[in-house]
Amino acid sequence: MKNEPEKKQKIGSALVVGGGIGGMQASLDLAEAGIKVYLVDSKPSIGGVMSQLDKTFPTNDCAMCTIAPRLVSIGRHKDISVLTLSEVEKIEGEPGNFIATVRCRARFVDEDRCTGCGTCVANCPVRFIPQPLDGYADVQLSPETKTLVDNIIAEHRFRQGPLMPILQSINVAFNYFPEDVMKYVSRQLEIPLTSILRVASFYNAFSLKPRGKHIINVCMGTTCYVRGGERLMDRFGELLNVKPEETTPDMLFTLKSVRCIGCCGLAPAVMIGEAVYGKLAVKDIQGIIKKYRGNGHAPHDH
Amino acid sequence: MATARIEVMLCTGTGCVAGGAFRLKEVLEAELAKHGLREEVSVIPTGCNGFCGQGPLMVAMPEKIFYGWLKPESIPYLVEEHLLKGRPVKKLMFTPPEKKEPIPLLSEIPFFKKQRLLVLRNKGIIDPERIDDYIARDGYTALEKVLTSMHPEEIIEEIIASGLRGRGGAGFPTGIKWKVCRNEQKTPKYIICNCDEGDPGAFMDRSVFESDPHSVIEGQTIAAYAIGASHGYIYVRTEYPLAIKRMQLAIQQAREYGLLGENILDSGFSFNLEIREGSGAFVCGEETSLIHSIEGKSPEPRQRPPFPAQVGIWGCPTVINNVETLATVPVIINRGAEWFSKIGTATSKGTKIFSLVGKINNTGLIEVPMGITLREIIYEIGGGIPNNRKFKAVQTGGPSGGCIPASLMDLPIDYESLTQAGSMMGSGGMIVMDEDTCMVDVAKFFLQFTNDESCGKCTTCREGSEALLEVLTRITNGEGREGDIEFLEELGQAIKDASMCGLGTTLPNPVLSTIRYFRDEYEAHLTYKRCPAKACKNLMAFWIDPALCQACLICKRECPAESIYGEKNIIHVIDQTKCTKCGTCFDVCPPRFNAIKKISGEPIPVVERGIPVERKKKAPVPV
Repeated sequence: MKNEPEKKQKIGSALVVGGGIGGMQASLDLAEAGIKVYLVDSKPSIGGVMSQLDKTFPTNDCAMCTIAPRLVSIGRHKDISVLTLSEVEKIEGEPGNFIATVRCRARFVDEDRCTGCGTCVANCPVRFIPQPLDGYADVQLSPETKTLVDNIIAEHRFRQGPLMPILQSINVAFNYFPEDVMKYVSRQLEIPLTSILRVASFYNAFSLKPRGKHIINVCMGTTCYVRGGERLMDRFGELLNVKPEETTPDMLFTLKSVRCIGCCGLAPAVMIGEAVYGKLAVKDIQGIIKKYRGNGHAPHDH
Repeated sequence: MATARIEVMLCTGTGCVAGGAFRLKEVLEAELAKHGLREEVSVIPTGCNGFCGQGPLMVAMPEKIFYGWLKPESIPYLVEEHLLKGRPVKKLMFTPPEKKEPIPLLSEIPFFKKQRLLVLRNKGIIDPERIDDYIARDGYTALEKVLTSMHPEEIIEEIIASGLRGRGGAGFPTGIKWKVCRNEQKTPKYIICNCDEGDPGAFMDRSVFESDPHSVIEGQTIAAYAIGASHGYIYVRTEYPLAIKRMQLAIQQAREYGLLGENILDSGFSFNLEIREGSGAFVCGEETSLIHSIEGKSPEPRQRPPFPAQVGIWGCPTVINNVETLATVPVIINRGAEWFSKIGTATSKGTKIFSLVGKINNTGLIEVPMGITLREIIYEIGGGIPNNRKFKAVQTGGPSGGCIPASLMDLPIDYESLTQAGSMMGSGGMIVMDEDTCMVDVAKFFLQFTNDESCGKCTTCREGSEALLEVLTRITNGEGREGDIEFLEELGQAIKDASMCGLGTTLPNPVLSTIRYFRDEYEAHLTYKRCPAKACKNLMAFWIDPALCQACLICKRECPAESIYGEKNIIHVIDQTKCTKCGTCFDVCPPRFNAIKKISGEPIPVVERGIPVERKKKAPVPV
């Protein structure tokens, strides 16, 4: 970043601050134009928010498909220097002609030799290093909730692979995953919240939103589908005034589709709680909803 | 145990329970008490009998008289006539649709006649919640045999010689898998039973758990002994609460009897078994995904090799076998590999359980020898298609499989022949479709499924399924473009080539196989905006044939959208702007009128409102 005061000419190299999708594209464009680029990002890696997204608005393009080629190009480009874990401390001079001071924080890894294989992460004996920006370091649960969650954790924590059984028990106890409980579990198990959420959001039986007292699982297995399961779903939606995966405002019903409950002999079938209703016709649905609305308990004689 | 004069085997599989089997049991027991028959007649709740289409059902022993479609109201008569007076009740027996005379004996019913029961040997005969019942049927003798007289290597040789292949779908030889695992140096080793039966339309694993859980435990313990494992997992879907409950009970009983746990049968061999539940993710049936799920990681599949038999759960060698595979093991040990390998075809040995469902008369679970033809299954066991409709195709292998058309009816079923036909064995769902099923719609259904269940790791699977679905949706909406079919074929092939796990590499199968056999249906949707099966909502409409309508008001009353205009004696007309095409009117119109028609690809006939019905006067009855 040489300084030539007599001419106010844009010279030397360019500094790009922030390695998100905008910063990456800017760096590539500049470098293609033959300008040396310094790309600075405060995070341990470039990629920014987009690297955490599945799709981007409004085109629903695949985020990873957009950034992955750019990440690779930047990594390979001879004229781009990536400075991660770095922050711009000060800039002196004027537009087009300045000197920037960048502080690079220590990584404790020789970046020239690291291949990014991840073995060190897997083998580090300290499993959970709280990030300073967590914000959930001291999450408070009500005493009852805390006892409940503590008991669940105590029951399973010394099993090999405790996370799934714990999540399943919490799902049974709360019917969904309250955010505070998830944070608490994260602290207790020393598993990062992101890892827990990644598991929790994967399964159909879990929900991160509160759900109704009765979960109506309309079977959408093949047999039920060819025998008219979709029509049952439409009818439930119409009568309860909700869409699939939604809950009624009175928190009584959540409408869900489920992939085969294995009652194909009874198709089309619906499972409410643990009760199965088979060989249903569109006209039966009103009666079923009524039964559950009546006293708020699951009817026994169906 | 006191012996009863008559034992009533009441099916309490999930299907029959949903039909009210436990209510029947109460009524039955009350009636028996009323007649003072409690000592003479015992009611035994069994697991799934298999003939789910007839549920709730029961079988009266020792004659094995089959009663189906039972209602609490019919129980008092049944108890009095059959159980008290010894006169079997004809009207509750099974009557084939086209016949008048009922078939009393279970063994004579065509649905059961052609079956060959190895895995389901105990279904409907034992109480799954009593280990003594299983032991009385030679249960745990295979385990005793291997622990007392066989070396693990011998067991593996026996399984290899039997030709047993994995029943989960891919058909990998079970014995080879065990051998690879046994030869690994690293310890401990693990054995996992895969009961994450995600394929829609398949419920054989659930049924085995519900009717004979001990056969799985025995098979898994033998497998553990053969490979040298001391700990095992049973991974079961959370959607199967009854199966989980029965399996837990079975494990507990086996422990109490010393058939699980430390030092089994004083042989020095120890084995522990633990149930892990899934939580509703289809991809967890894939073995590496299943391992990740138990480990509490995000359940995405990983690249193989290394295979789980080398590096599996907790990084240790692990064998993962399907429920049916494990339940077959005790049979092979007891009766010998030679006997077993005589059943089936050259490459596929033994029997396979299929769930025969969809548009078929006899819905249920069947176990048949490999090599049986589709024709035998559908027309002899299944009893043909209901309502005199025409058979169109059968879908096998779930979302990974394909549709086999009527022209391949005489195909002998084994692993290879199904793959050649563009489908696959899969876990054994067999969904029968008639002429009212639209093949493009079926392909779309499966793509919706796989698109939903794709874990998102591979771009081709994640984005490819989305793109396939988009085009299929377009076609079924009547907005298809020229070249769409070719695009589907090309993209389908690309997804097959570039995805990593079984889900991705097989997800285009439903599309590719339907294009292969039903290209004309795709073309009808594209070119003529017509759905030949009259199933695609956007391409069809309902209307009432004024010549047939008898103005009975039934459809008007039942229509949820209130779209039917009509009064007493005035012909009914559907208001097409209000109609949501739910099909209720079509279902409720009495078959003797049959006035509601479906129409596709042609303009809807306009019928004026207010036309009175012309009723033919009844012919005078001769006196």
